Amino acid sequence: MSFAELIPPPSRHPVLRFFDLAAFACMVVAGLQLVTLISIFGWLVFGRYVLNDTPTWVEQLALLLVVWITFLGAAAGVWTRAHLSVDFIREALPPPIRRLLYWLAVIGMIIFGACLAWQGWGLASGTWARRIPMLGIAEGWRAVPMVICGVLTVLFSCCHLVALMRGQDPAEVC
Amino acid sequence: MGLSILFGLFALGLISGMPVAFALGLATVGGFLYEGLPLFIGFQRILSGISVFSLLAIPFFIFAGELMMQGGIATRLVRLASSAVGSMRGGLGVVNVASSMLFGGISGSAVADTSALGSILMPVMKEKGYDPDYAVNVTVTSSVAGVVIPPSHNMILYAVAAGGVSVSNLFIAGIIPGILMCLCLGAVAYVVAVKRGYPAETFPGWGALLRSFLIAIPGLMTAVIIVGGVLSGVMTVTESGAFGAIYAIVVTTLVYRELTWDGFRRAVYVSVRTTALVMLLVATASGFAYLLAIYRVPELLAGAVTMVSENPIIILLMLNAILLVLGMIMDMAALILICTPIFLPVAQSLGMDPIQFGVILMMNLGLGLCTPPVGACLFVGCVVGGVKMEHAVKTIWPFYLAILVALLLVTYVPAFSMFLPGLLQGG
Amino acid sequence: ETWRGWNIHPEDYPNSIALDQFAADVAEVTEGRVEPEVFHNGVLGSQPDAIEQVRNGGLDFANFNMGPMGEIVPATNVLSLPFIFRSVDQMHAAMDGEIGQRFSDALAEEGLVALSWFDSGARSFYNTKKPIMTPADVEGMKFRVMNNDLYVQMVDELGGNATPMAFSEVYQSLKTGVIDGAENNYPSYESTNHYEVAGYYSITEHLIIPECICVSTAAWDTLSEEDQAAIKQAAMDAAVVQRELWAERSKASRAKVEEAGVEINEIEDKQPFQDAMGPVYENFIAANPDLESLITDIQSLE
Ligand code: NA
Ligand code: NA
Repeated sequence: MSFAELIPPPSRHPVLRFFDLAAFACMVVAGLQLVTLISIFGWLVFGRYVLNDTPTWVEQLALLLVVWITFLGAAAGVWTRAHLSVDFIREALPPPIRRLLYWLAVIGMIIFGACLAWQGWGLASGTWARRIPMLGIAEGWRAVPMVICGVLTVLFSCCHLVALMRGQDPAEVC
Repeated sequence: MGLSILFGLFALGLISGMPVAFALGLATVGGFLYEGLPLFIGFQRILSGISVFSLLAIPFFIFAGELMMQGGIATRLVRLASSAVGSMRGGLGVVNVASSMLFGGISGSAVADTSALGSILMPVMKEKGYDPDYAVNVTVTSSVAGVVIPPSHNMILYAVAAGGVSVSNLFIAGIIPGILMCLCLGAVAYVVAVKRGYPAETFPGWGALLRSFLIAIPGLMTAVIIVGGVLSGVMTVTESGAFGAIYAIVVTTLVYRELTWDGFRRAVYVSVRTTALVMLLVATASGFAYLLAIYRVPELLAGAVTMVSENPIIILLMLNAILLVLGMIMDMAALILICTPIFLPVAQSLGMDPIQFGVILMMNLGLGLCTPPVGACLFVGCVVGGVKMEHAVKTIWPFYLAILVALLLVTYVPAFSMFLPGLLQGG
Repeated sequence: ETWRGWNIHPEDYPNSIALDQFAADVAEVTEGRVEPEVFHNGVLGSQPDAIEQVRNGGLDFANFNMGPMGEIVPATNVLSLPFIFRSVDQMHAAMDGEIGQRFSDALAEEGLVALSWFDSGARSFYNTKKPIMTPADVEGMKFRVMNNDLYVQMVDELGGNATPMAFSEVYQSLKTGVIDGAENNYPSYESTNHYEVAGYYSITEHLIIPECICVSTAAWDTLSEEDQAAIKQAAMDAAVVQRELWAERSKASRAKVEEAGVEINEIEDKQPFQDAMGPVYENFIAANPDLESLITDIQSLE
C-alpha cells in the first residue's frame, strides 16, 4: 500500500467527502507536528551537549505538541474507525440487542464528544490568562485540540447516527 | 454505588462496541456527575494525563519502529537471523523467534513486530512447506518479546502509571525475562517443527553469516545508539527515543537507501495513528483513575486480596490469573493504565519491587496480545498470514505454555528481573 | 460535611503528618460539621491542576508550595526571587506577620484562603563535580531547574546552563552526566537518592519558599465565624508541628547524606551570589512595578 491510498478518494457523497477531508487534514497537521517534535528534540540534545546552552522551551513545546497530535489523531481515528474496541460480545448477541447496542455506542460517542468540546472550551478559556512557563504563550492553547476533537467526534458520530436511522450499517457507509 | 456506576458505564460502553478510550471517558463523565464533582476536573485530568514528559518517548519509539519497517532494517535483521539459526530443523520457526528478539530490541511495539516480521517471514515459511497456522502461531507469540525486551512503549506507560518508576531500570530489567521468553518459545518452535517434520535450511557458511551480520550492523546500531547515548550521558532515555527515530531516518535513506518519500509519509501517518490511539487511552484512563483514587479502590482491593489469602505465592498466582483473563478481553495499553494503580499496591504489600511487577505485567498482558477474543497481535498475525483466527488458535497452546513457563519463573524468581538493575545500581 | 484535601507528599512526610493532624483537629473542633479527608501522594493530580480544582470547588483544601503558584497569583512570584529571604527564620517572621497577610490577600482574590504557612526549607545547589564557593564555580555547569523563568534567569546570571527538566529524569541525568547538578532542600536531596550520584552540596540557600494550607473560598464562606476561627487555629497548630518536623527531618537527611560521604560546604560570603541577581530583580520589578514595595518591605525586615 502506498501513501496515496491513504488519501481519501473523491468518489463519495459531498458530506462524506467533507468529513473524509476533515479527518485527513487532522492527520496531516498531526504528522507535521510529529516531525516537528522529533526535530526539536534533536535540537535540544545538540544545544545542551554541543553548545552547552540548553534551549529551555523544548520540553514545554514538546508537551504541547503531543497533546495536539493525540487529539487530532484521535478525531481522525473516530472517522477511520482506527480506535481499539471490544466488539466480539456485541456481535455474539441476538440481532435486536445488537441493534440497540449500536445505538448506545453512537449516542455514547456523541455525549462524550460533546463533553470534550464543552469542557475543552471551558479549560481553554479558563486558563487563557495563564502563560505556559518557558514558552510565554497562553496555557489555553493546550486545551484547544480537545475542542476540535470533541466537535469532530460529534459530527462524525452524527453521521453514523444518520446511517443507523436509515437502517444502514454505519461501518459501511461512513 | 458510585463505584458500580463507574464500572457499569464502562462495561456498557465496552459491550456496545465503543472504542475503549471513549468508554473510559464516558464512564468518567458519569462518575463525576454522580458524585457531584465539577466535570472540568475530569477533563483537566484527561489533559494533564498526557502532558507528562516520560510519555514523549512513546511517539518516538513508535515512529522509529515504523521507519525501520519501511526502510528495510527489519528485512536485514531477518536475513541475519536466518543465516545464523536457519540450519536447525524447523529452522524458520527458530529464525522467526530470533528475529523478534533482534527487532524487539530496537523497536518498541509488539504489533509492529508482528506485521513487520510476519509480512517478511510468513510467505517464505509457507513456500517452504510450513503450515500457515504454525507460521502465525510462532510470529504472534514471539512478538511479545518486543514488549519485554527494551525499548518498549508499554513499559513507559507502566512507569508513568506506577508513578515514578525509573524507565531505564525497567528497560534493563526486561532484558533477561525477554531472552528467557524467547528461549522457551524457540524450544517449543523447534519441538513442534520436528514433530511436524518441517525442513531445515542449508547453512550458508560462515562467510555468508558474517556478510549478513555486517549488512545488519547499521540497523543493529540503532540499539547501540539508544543505549550508548543514554549510558554516556549525552541524552536521557526519552531523548534517546527521538534520536533512535532520527538515526533510523539517516540509516534507511543514506545507507540502505530503501526509505522512499512515500514510505516516510506512511511511517508518519501510521505513527500518528498509533500514538493518538495509545495517548487517548492514557488521557481518558487518567480521568478514570482520579475516580478510582477518590473511591480508594486500590486500598479496598489490597484489603480484599489479603483477606482471601495471606500466602504470597497464592496471591501472586491470583494476580497473574486475573491479569491473564483481563488480557484476553481487553487491550494491553488500557489494562496497564487501569490495573497498575489497582494491583501494584497489592504486589508491593507482598514486598515485590515495582520493577519486577512491571516485568510480570508486561509478560502477562503481552500474552493477552496473542489470545482470542481480543488480541491485537493475533488479529494482525492472522490477517497478514491469511489464516482464520479459529484455525490459528487450535494449535497455539504449546506456545502459550512457553510464555506461561517464563512468566511463572519471572514471578517466583525475582533474580530474573532484578539482577541486572541491581548490578547497575550497585556499580 | 466531608472536605477533600490535596497533598503531593507521601504519608510519612512532615507535611503529611501535619495535615493528618489538621484533619483530625478540624473534625474535633467543629464536632464533625467538617470532616477533612487528605489524599496523599498527589493521587488527585499535579499542583497546578489541584490549584484549579480548589478554585473551582473540586477540592476543599490543600497544601500548596508557593513556587508554582506564581502562574496564578503573580504576587507570590516574589517568593520565588532568589535570596529574597536571608534565612528560614526571617521567612517565618515575615510570613507570620503583616507580609504574610499581604500574600494571603493576594491569594484570596483568586479564591484561596491561606490559613497558615508551612516550611519547605532552603534550596541549595548540588552537583557531581566540585564544591561551589563563588559564582565562578557555577560557570559552564548544567543545572536542572524547575520550569519558571526566574529560576532559569538565576542560573544564567550565575554563568551556568539552566536546563529545565522533568523531575523524574533528574536522577538518571545526574548519574550519566546529561546534567551536572540540580538544586533542592535536604529532605528532597536525600529521599530522591540524588545524593548517591551528586556528591557535592553547597549551602547557597538561594530559594526559601513557604507553603500554605489553603482552603477554597467556597468552602470557607459556608462556615460560621466560630468554626472559621477554630479551623484557623487548627491550621496554625499544624504549622507549628510541620515546622518542627521539617527541621528534624532536614537534620536527619543532612546526617544521612553526610554519612554517605557527601561533601557539604558552607558559603562564607553570599554577597557575590546576591549581587549577581541584580538583573533578575530589575527585570522582575520592571515587569511588576506594583510589587516593588513588597520586595523592599521583605528585605528591610529584621
Ligand atoms: Na522492545
Ligand atoms: Na488479548
